[in-house]
Amino acid sequence: MRDPYEILGVAKTATQDEIKSAYRSLAKKFHPDLNPGNKEREARFKDISGAYEKIGDPESRQKFDRGETDEMTGAGRAGPESPFYYQTQGNGGGRYSAQSFGGGLDEDFFENLFRQGGAGRRARSADRPGEDQLYQMEISFRDAVLGSERDLTLPTGKKLHVVIPPGVDSGSRLRFRGQGGPGIGSAPAGDAYVELSVKPLPGFTRKGNNIETEVPISFLEALRGGEVDVPTVDGKVQLKIPAGVSSGSRLRVRGKGVAGKGGERGDQFVALKIVMPKTVSAELKAAVDAWGNSFDYNPRGDA
Amino acid sequence: MRERKLQLIEEASVVCGVGPDRLLEFISYAWVMPAEDNPPRLDEEDIARARLIQELQEGFGVNKEAVPIILQLIDQLHRLHHEAKFLR
Repeated sequence: MRDPYEILGVAKTATQDEIKSAYRSLAKKFHPDLNPGNKEREARFKDISGAYEKIGDPESRQKFDRGETDEMTGAGRAGPESPFYYQTQGNGGGRYSAQSFGGGLDEDFFENLFRQGGAGRRARSADRPGEDQLYQMEISFRDAVLGSERDLTLPTGKKLHVVIPPGVDSGSRLRFRGQGGPGIGSAPAGDAYVELSVKPLPGFTRKGNNIETEVPISFLEALRGGEVDVPTVDGKVQLKIPAGVSSGSRLRVRGKGVAGKGGERGDQFVALKIVMPKTVSAELKAAVDAWGNSFDYNPRGDA
Repeated sequence: MRERKLQLIEEASVVCGVGPDRLLEFISYAWVMPAEDNPPRLDEEDIARARLIQELQEGFGVNKEAVPIILQLIDQLHRLHHEAKFLR
């Protein structure tokens, strides 16, 4: 067995990088696939790769330098069971060369050359559609109800113009066909999905296509009726309160809910909450006492 | 002529010394197109080709972009070689 340092033409003190580059330049020269049928060069290549196997990485090199030569690893690549590629291309050619583009060195040849994949006509089995990719986007309650448009920059640097249709909810997914991972071969790219999550808006609760809110009113407003401002997703609206309402009464504001499938919007229901003054002054109590005696009623019914 | 002995990825990996993950990578780039699909099974030609790719990358430092170009040239070379032999 020849000395691997000698075979590769490097000094015993050579660095790993020096060994590597020596191997590379020799392998380029002697690789059988670059010299098909040249037995002499093939034998040289086997020596070279066997030598590189021994001292090509620091660990096996240390082993070799200590004299622990494992003859098994010294075999390099050899054996009739593991032919070089060119050897599989004999007698009528292999599948790959048969598939490769025939003809002269014209434009097609070079065009073909720079396509991904070795053989000119790619087997269908090699085509694989790209992966679907899922992204998350948080939107406001208002944007979910009314719809919106946003530009989203994907981690890949790609920009998506996201049109949020009115009426979406948390978990809604928007699909962007062909904006996912690239396909392999002639297969199409995957799709990108943007999953929405809706940031809750305090005081607003969505029930299907309706929105539920609550508005505090004074007991005088409850008694006399009147108009109060209530917030909706479209801004404030004036709500007429009929006289004599109770806490929990629900008033409907038409068309301020969430858009349904047909585009028609649901309603907003406003629950009234009668709030007493923070302090009950002596005058108030006296007035109510005077009033209570003549207008008392039992809200618990006859029970 | 060629013996059509097909090997699964794991077996092929042992024969050619290319890790299973790398084999799958080569297949995904269509550098290697297994003789059979589902599950992929490689013949001698596929295996020799996988090893050649590994040697191109590890031994010669060929980068990913250049691999298919080199493969294509080698395929062309073999094809032309056969055509020439036929004409002779």
